[in-house]
Amino acid sequence: MNPNYQLTDSQDSYGFGFLDEFAKREIRRVILKAISIPGYQTPYASREMPMGRGFGTGGLQLTLSMIGPEDTLKVIDQGSDDSVNAVNLRKFAELTCPDVSTTESTTEATLIQTRHRVPEIALREDQVLNLQVPYPDPLVIVEPSEAKRKIMHGEGDYARLLTKLYEDLVKFDEITISHRYPTRINGHYVIDPSPIPRYDVPKLHQSQALLLFGAGREKKIYAVPPYTNAEPLVFDDVPFRTENFYNADGKRRACNRCGSTNSFLDELNLEDGSKAWQCSDTDFCNRQLARTDAGEVTQ
Amino acid sequence: MKPILEVKGLTRIHGTECPSCLDMTGPEHDTNVCPACGSVVAAANVSFSLQPGEILGIMGESGSGKSTVVKTLYFDQAPSRGSAIFRDGDQNHELFNLNGAEQRWLRNHRFGMVYQNPNLGLNFGISAGGNIAERLLMNDLNHYGDIRRRAGELLTRTDVMVSRMDESPKQFSGGMQQRVQIAKALATRPPLLYLDEVTTGLDLSVQARILDLILEIQHELGTAMIVVTHDLGVIRLLASRTLVMKYGRVIESGLTDQILEDPQQAYTQQLVASTL
Repeated sequence: MNPNYQLTDSQDSYGFGFLDEFAKREIRRVILKAISIPGYQTPYASREMPMGRGFGTGGLQLTLSMIGPEDTLKVIDQGSDDSVNAVNLRKFAELTCPDVSTTESTTEATLIQTRHRVPEIALREDQVLNLQVPYPDPLVIVEPSEAKRKIMHGEGDYARLLTKLYEDLVKFDEITISHRYPTRINGHYVIDPSPIPRYDVPKLHQSQALLLFGAGREKKIYAVPPYTNAEPLVFDDVPFRTENFYNADGKRRACNRCGSTNSFLDELNLEDGSKAWQCSDTDFCNRQLARTDAGEVTQ
Repeated sequence: MKPILEVKGLTRIHGTECPSCLDMTGPEHDTNVCPACGSVVAAANVSFSLQPGEILGIMGESGSGKSTVVKTLYFDQAPSRGSAIFRDGDQNHELFNLNGAEQRWLRNHRFGMVYQNPNLGLNFGISAGGNIAERLLMNDLNHYGDIRRRAGELLTRTDVMVSRMDESPKQFSGGMQQRVQIAKALATRPPLLYLDEVTTGLDLSVQARILDLILEIQHELGTAMIVVTHDLGVIRLLASRTLVMKYGRVIESGLTDQILEDPQQAYTQQLVASTL
């Protein structure tokens, strides 16, 4: 970001939240439709944002059309509040939404925009999670024609997606999809839940918070409303498995910063060539660390 | 016994149809291109019925419309006119009045199709077992172990080595690919099977094995079949009744023996004579 860049001061040029009121209204209507048809990829007129498509413009448009001065915004990228994408999007929101407060705390936020992770701390009914989505359609790997994909979604025809899982099991004895795991919402539509790891997929199921998915480049918005079923696509006799972070001895790895053994870990290459594991959710890690320092958690 | 399939007046015209399309084409005009509007009459007023467990042959040269008939019945193409009633137990399905989802359901659950070109019937990007699994998954079988077992059984039944079920059909010979297609078509035990030039392009011994397999399946499962071919040998071996088509019209129909031994139409006579 150019530190000298100033948005125009004129109130007539840019409204609150950068988007004009018509754009916000259209997006809000699409959000309502998406909530009404859980998992359905609702088309919308994705606006040009002052950043490249693919950098979270879908999630950002959701956020900017919903945010008000009373909101507290948290922006995360791969679980971290400090990575480039998160910092830039947060700065943009601060610049264009005067009076909105931002936070790094998951519990204080009312609106959370995220890329690639769902926060470790369970979300509440009064919170909304906006996920940035690069590829909204899970069927794209088996059917190149969008017209045919729409028919397949309408008829709930996901046999070919399951065939892909069958082939994985035949070749590798295991389903090899690490992220963007196809998940059936409310018993019908299967969504691409954005590149969250498998670890986060169970958090979509019966979530208390509203989960919204915005794909800016692909011009689609879809939703997992609160208390809605979200079931990963599996075979009856092959249960869904999440990352377990076991080491060679079968012991669960712990975060080397906070010592937590119940969070999603990032694998880090240290300077001496060795590897270390650390919580991907920085807010969660900081909280654990604070509790450890206060003597609440014994290792 | 009521017929399992009753087709009436099936017509398929490619292009901007005009009122004289049907009058100005056909064997007597020696063309299937309408001279008035240039439309191609692929099939015109084709009617026949098929009994449960029966094999009906459709014979004719290239472009006579025999594949068009089967493709419309399998919903690969939509007909211009005509009706077809499929009797499934107590239910009568008027095939061309169904919506897309109902057509897809019938196609996946009650019909089977074996194409001349395995490229059309099989997905070469996935394994032979995967191709069969796909069809079982469409039938709401969602148990990996059961799918594996059933796919293995079907491939054994069609003489494909189970040890090769996890290979891509790309690596199979033409005859094996055809047998995988048959296994895939049979996966749901359909009461009606369409075979479109199944043995064309295969060598004679492989042809014989595939024809034997088809007959065995018919005896075992009582599957009704429509066999489309230009090969009189196949018709003689498989079909009890036969339609002869030319320029989109059925020009002769009856018992296969009768047609082959005592052809009435000049075209059929020529066809029978040419193979001797």
